[in-house]
Amino acid sequence: MSDELDRIRREMHSVLQPEGVRPDDSLKITRRTFIHGSLVFGAATVGQAFAWWPLLNTLDIAHAAETPFKFAWISDTHLYPRSLNTRFVDKVVRAAQEVQAMDPPADFLIFGGDLAQLGKIEELELGVDLLKEIKIPKHYIPGEHDWYLDMGKKWGELFGQPNWTFDHKGVRFIGLDTVSRGPDYWTAKNMTPEERMGHMATLDGTVAGPWAGVGRDQLDWMEKTLADWDKQRPVVIFSHNPLYEYYPPWNFWVRDWREVHEVLKPYAKVTNIHGHVHQVLYNEIGTLRSIGMLATSWPWPYAPEGLPKLTKPMIRVDPGDPYDGVGWSKIDVAANDQLETEYIMWGRKEVFVQSPEDHDKHVSEVIRPRIADNMWPYR
Amino acid sequence: MTTHSKIRCSLRRFGLVGGIAIAAVFAGPTSAHKDPVKQEQLKLYQEVFMEEVRKGDLLFHGDQKMAEQLGVADDLSKTGMACAMCHPMASDTHPQSFPKFQAQIAKFATLRDMINWCIEKPNQGVKIDPESEAMKALEAYITWSNTGSVLQPGKF
Repeated sequence: MSDELDRIRREMHSVLQPEGVRPDDSLKITRRTFIHGSLVFGAATVGQAFAWWPLLNTLDIAHAAETPFKFAWISDTHLYPRSLNTRFVDKVVRAAQEVQAMDPPADFLIFGGDLAQLGKIEELELGVDLLKEIKIPKHYIPGEHDWYLDMGKKWGELFGQPNWTFDHKGVRFIGLDTVSRGPDYWTAKNMTPEERMGHMATLDGTVAGPWAGVGRDQLDWMEKTLADWDKQRPVVIFSHNPLYEYYPPWNFWVRDWREVHEVLKPYAKVTNIHGHVHQVLYNEIGTLRSIGMLATSWPWPYAPEGLPKLTKPMIRVDPGDPYDGVGWSKIDVAANDQLETEYIMWGRKEVFVQSPEDHDKHVSEVIRPRIADNMWPYR
Repeated sequence: MTTHSKIRCSLRRFGLVGGIAIAAVFAGPTSAHKDPVKQEQLKLYQEVFMEEVRKGDLLFHGDQKMAEQLGVADDLSKTGMACAMCHPMASDTHPQSFPKFQAQIAKFATLRDMINWCIEKPNQGVKIDPESEAMKALEAYITWSNTGSVLQPGKF
C-alpha cells in the first residue's frame, strides 16, 4: 500500500506542482497572523522547528471583498439519536449557540457534511432541529454518513440539491458533493442498507473502497459555473473531502483530483475548505489552497503518512475531554481584503503543537489496514 | 532465544485452551517442547493468533455480534462510539509505548489499563475483566495492527 501511495503522491506533485508554481502572491500569510498564532507562546526550539510553516489563521485574498463579512463553518457532527449519545448533541448545541452569538453576525453558515452518524431519518432531523438555533442563511453539503442508508433520499428532501453556487460580495462560492458517487460495493454482495451504511461509516474499512469523488458530470457543471467568472477573482469551494490526495485508505482525497485541478487551474485564487478529516490541515497544490476543518464530534489522528508539509499540526488531544480537539470555525473576510480562518477549538487556548511531544505522531508507529471486514461473510 | 523457548513464549502469551490442545495433538503432550518445530505447528499457532486478531478487529470496530459472543455487548460502549472511531487502523493506540505513566489515569499503566479507561471514559461503558478473552482479543488486534512499530516503553 505504501509504495502505491508513494507513486500517487509523486504523480500528484509532478502533475500539479510544476517548478515555481504557487498560489497567487496576494494569498501570502501576513505578519499579523504570524505573531498572533501559537508561536508567541512557543519555546525557542519550537519556533525554530515550525517557523517556516505558514499559520493558517489568516489568508490574505486580494480584491476578495466588496465589503467585509464573516461566515461560519460547522461540520462532522455525526449525530446519533439523542437517546443514545447526548455528548454529540451537546456539542452541536454549543456550536450553534456560538455561531448565532457572533457579533457582528456571520452572513451565512456552511454545514460541511456528516450531520448524521448512520444516515437515519431521526439523526438527520435531529441535526436540522439543533441547527434551527442559527438564524442566518445555511448552506449544506453532504457527507458519506448522511448518504448511504437511503442513498441521499432523506438528505435531498431536507436540503435539496447537494451541489450549488452563489456569489457573495465579490466571491464566488461553490458547494460540491464528493460523496454520492461511490462505486457499488453492495449489490453483488446483497447487502442491506444498514450493512452498506456500516461499511461506509467505518473510516478504516476496506469494503467501501475509494468512494470519494467529484464525478465527470459535476466537473462539467463546475467548469460551466466558473466559465463567466474573472480568473483573477476569488473562488471558495466547499467540499466534504479534501480535493487532493492526502491518504486514500481513509478517503482523505477525491479519486478524480487530477480532473478537479484541471478545471481549477486557470483560476488564480481558489481556496478549498473541507471537512471529513476532523483535524487542522493546510496544503497548497499548484494555485489551490486547502484548509481542513475540525469536527464537533471527535478528532481523527493524523494519517500515518502523507500529512502535507505545510500543515502546522494541531495539538495532541486529551481523550478524556469530549470538548478537546473539536469545535467549529469562523471565516472573516476583512475590510483590508484579508480572509481569516479561525479554529474555535473548545478544549484549548493553543490549537497548534507547542512542542514535539504535543504532536500525535510523537510516538512513531507503523500501522496496517484491518482485515475482519473483508472476511466472511464478505470475503 | 531458541526455537523451543519461542514456542513456549507464544503459548504462554496466547495461552488459549484451543491453542494448547492443537499443539498437544500435533506434538504430543510430553514432547511438545522437545522436538524440532513442524510447519504444521507454526501454521496452527498463527491461525490461533489471527483468529484472536479477527475477533479483536470486530470488537474494536463495534461489531455487536462479536461483542455478544464474547459476553461484553453491554460493556464496551454505551454511546454508539467504537474504539476505531478515534483510532482508525488502531493508530494512536501506541501499544509499543506501554507500560508507562498514563496521564489520564494518573498511574503507571499497561495497555489493558488504558483499554479499560477508554471503555469507561470516552465510550461511557463498563470496564471488562482484564483477563477476559475480549480483552486479549483487543490486545491482539491492537498489537498486530502496530506490527513493525518499534518498542518505546514509557514514552509519553
